[in-house]
Amino acid sequence: MTRYLLGRVALALLVALAVSALAFLVLRLSGDVALAIAGEGASEADLQLIRASYGLDRPLPVQYLAWLWQTLRGDFGSSLYFKVPVSELVLQKLPTTMLLGLSALCFGLLLAVPLGVAAALWRDSWVDRLAMGITVVAQALPTFFVALVLIMVFAVWARWLPVSGSGSWLHFVMPTIALGYYVMPPFMRLIRSNMIEVLSADYVRTARAKGLPTAAVVLRHALRNAIVPVVGLAAVQLGFLLGGSVVIESVFALDGLGYLAFRSISYKDFPVLQTIVLLLSLLYVALTTLSDIANVWLDPRLRSA
Amino acid sequence: MSQPSEQRAPALEVRHLSVDIASSHGDVHAVRDVSFRVERGQTLCIVGESGCGKSMTSLAVMDLLPAAARRRAEVLRVGEHDLARADRRTVNALRGERMAMIFQEPMTALNPSLTIGAQMVEAHRHHRGSSAAQARERAVHLLERVGIASAAQRLGQYPHQLSGGLRQRVMIAMALMCEPDVLIADEPTTALDVTIQAQILRLLMDLQRETGVAIVLVTHDLGVVARVAHKVAVMYAGRIVEEGPTAEVFGRPRHPYTRGLLGCIPVPGRVAPGGHLGIIRGTVPALVGELRGCTFRERCDAARPTCAHDDPPRRSGAAGHAWSCILEEEEAVS
Amino acid sequence: MTTTLASSPSSSPAAQSVDVAPSRRAQLWARARRHRPFMLGLALLGAIVLLAVAGPFFYGHDPYAQDLTRRAVPPVWYARGSWAHVLGTDALGRDYLARLLHGGRVSLLISLAVVLISGSIGTTLGVLAGYFAGRVDLAITFVITASLAMPSILIALVIVSMVGSSLTVVILVLGLLMWIRFAVVTRTATQQIRALDYVAAAQAVGASRWRIIFGEVLPNVMPQVIVVATLEAASAIMVEAALSFLGLGVQPPTPSWGLMIAEARSYMFFSFWLIAIPGIALGLLALAINLVGDGLRDLFAAGSRN
Repeated sequence: MTRYLLGRVALALLVALAVSALAFLVLRLSGDVALAIAGEGASEADLQLIRASYGLDRPLPVQYLAWLWQTLRGDFGSSLYFKVPVSELVLQKLPTTMLLGLSALCFGLLLAVPLGVAAALWRDSWVDRLAMGITVVAQALPTFFVALVLIMVFAVWARWLPVSGSGSWLHFVMPTIALGYYVMPPFMRLIRSNMIEVLSADYVRTARAKGLPTAAVVLRHALRNAIVPVVGLAAVQLGFLLGGSVVIESVFALDGLGYLAFRSISYKDFPVLQTIVLLLSLLYVALTTLSDIANVWLDPRLRSA
Repeated sequence: MSQPSEQRAPALEVRHLSVDIASSHGDVHAVRDVSFRVERGQTLCIVGESGCGKSMTSLAVMDLLPAAARRRAEVLRVGEHDLARADRRTVNALRGERMAMIFQEPMTALNPSLTIGAQMVEAHRHHRGSSAAQARERAVHLLERVGIASAAQRLGQYPHQLSGGLRQRVMIAMALMCEPDVLIADEPTTALDVTIQAQILRLLMDLQRETGVAIVLVTHDLGVVARVAHKVAVMYAGRIVEEGPTAEVFGRPRHPYTRGLLGCIPVPGRVAPGGHLGIIRGTVPALVGELRGCTFRERCDAARPTCAHDDPPRRSGAAGHAWSCILEEEEAVS
Repeated sequence: MTTTLASSPSSSPAAQSVDVAPSRRAQLWARARRHRPFMLGLALLGAIVLLAVAGPFFYGHDPYAQDLTRRAVPPVWYARGSWAHVLGTDALGRDYLARLLHGGRVSLLISLAVVLISGSIGTTLGVLAGYFAGRVDLAITFVITASLAMPSILIALVIVSMVGSSLTVVILVLGLLMWIRFAVVTRTATQQIRALDYVAAAQAVGASRWRIIFGEVLPNVMPQVIVVATLEAASAIMVEAALSFLGLGVQPPTPSWGLMIAEARSYMFFSFWLIAIPGIALGLLALAINLVGDGLRDLFAAGSRN
């Protein structure tokens, strides 16, 4: 088990390194950084000056290493627009995005588990069809559209919730729903197929042979085994949620990393963008590593091996 | 081995049990008009080849049939409890309590993510309302009784940490937690090594002597039958074609199928080197649609024209020995 | 006479055609017809494609023609609506149905192009990794894992903002970002096929590697590629819509459903249909494609199980 852990972590670090290189490459190559910093209409002399001061005239590998070295020392540069250290900015906005991601995940699971279990228990019945129908529709609606509809219904007509901003927990309700419903389908399908498989397992038959009540059989015996892969998937989905929060945060003007990234794109604020991309990638690597570890740890057969 | 308990209600009585399974080709008549009874402290073996319906019969008694199957029975009684027309709650109350079942594959029959202890105590706590400590105590006692050393430690272990033989012992102990009157065992030793098989069978016999539990043991292995069965019922194509005390049926088999089965057992010295081992030619017919006459006729050397449309009559011999064949007693013995 | 087993389609010994069993394709189609969600998706998709491709020829309105005297006219089922503009007009007086139809073309074009690009890249990489294993596999798997870790929407946004957004850019960027699922699926499938006996047989006969790849591996990997393609197509449409919604996708005045929603945002309190119509259109298209993809997955899986 410890060997597996070490190996997995080592792999994660390697991937993180590769991702940082990729992210760096993508950003540097997708356009002239100096031009973006200087803005349109800058003279060639200005551009040269900028290139020199930012070290943009050095060969790429050197730039990357310099940046890497800087980053490892905790220096993420300064925001071109906000004129504050990037690390400060990012740390300020990170909790909001994490909160949004986690609550969206919980919301998605809260919907997915009952739907998946019900669909599996009454397989091929109208319950199953209805659950699958809801799932398929949820997968098809664009998140920003649902977000706007929610705003219309809850903020404008009913006036229960604020339209946008991020002052109180109320501001998180609609973003959570808008982000959460979209993450429900993969979970629901996984739970449904796992439950179907588990419900026909021998040990479920043994549990029924012992005369246990149906609830105990379903929850204690079946769901317990079916839910294991969900944990792994949850970690992965959380990664996607963090990355995909850009759209939702922008719609609701929720002051998190996604919204910051969106604004930084318009301001062409490189240091911020670079750091955000790096951070999200690292988070994702960490989450997938955790997910793999969780999968192994939760199966008693593999744990004691 | 006749018991004086014939006057008391049998531990398990089944009369005219049928199971039909819906399929895309029509209804499959997996079990057709099966009847048997088992007394306290007795072991009945239901023996037959794969697909004869013996497993379905055992599942039908426990009401554990797959969703596509339908069960009909005139009488299905465990002690005084009528199961044939009982509702779900009554059946659930009896399952695990008055009647228990153990299965063929102990690895898959035990939940891999729960400890042995957790799985053993849950039925007892549910049916008897015992406390965790009480149930644990009983579990330890039973584990020791089935011959598992360091029983207390075993409770905290997971199924995959035990060997196949140990797992089957755990299954047996688990089945006996609530002191059932009937224990149904579906091929309990098939997945085990031969040496372990012997141990498990011996264990079952010991437990039967001690507790008086009635055992219905489903198997395809005639050796197992010879070892443990007081009575044997031979099943073919969903029907019981011959039944009776083991010694009788084995010593004087009447039905051609039984004779064929017994003839298939290789006995050193019976067949000369280079000679042929006994076989029963042909294959089991599909049990779909209307079935008339004797289903064994295609494979029977002694088949007559009437076997094709008339149900074979039921004949009886000594000590409860019965079989369904058109052949007269003298003709059958050859 | 030995007993007959389970029923096989009774065939009179007299003149039977050469193939007694229906061809695989016919079987597949017969099964497909019974799969209701699949047929629904197919019908819906067919309708949308027909409308988007052929619609503009029959419906004369120009999606770019502004008429400031007729701004935000509601659709025909409202009191103020009229048949002149069946789905009303947008904030600049452009006919909404025309924009919807043309926007449909954009969505379909994007999904097709993106899937072709990403599918080619992903399938190539996946088959190579699965077939050659060893270091090639290691390298490609590493690239896959690293690429998975990158927040693709964000990266897409960044690239588009730097390079300048247009239809072509969006297609290229998405095509280069969405190959991963293709690679993963084809890699696994190739590994499985490679381990099968008939590949070993082909090798024993001396067939060259490329022959095996094109002759044995690719045809058998195709069903799964098609399933992934449909699902990625739906994904591509949604991502493009999101990009356009944020202003970083298709640029005005080209109609794109996502863009239409963005343009209508400030008017949504008074003219909600401006948002609802393209939104529902997006939903229906994604739904149709997903139903078809799911159905294909079920059908192919059932087929291989036999």
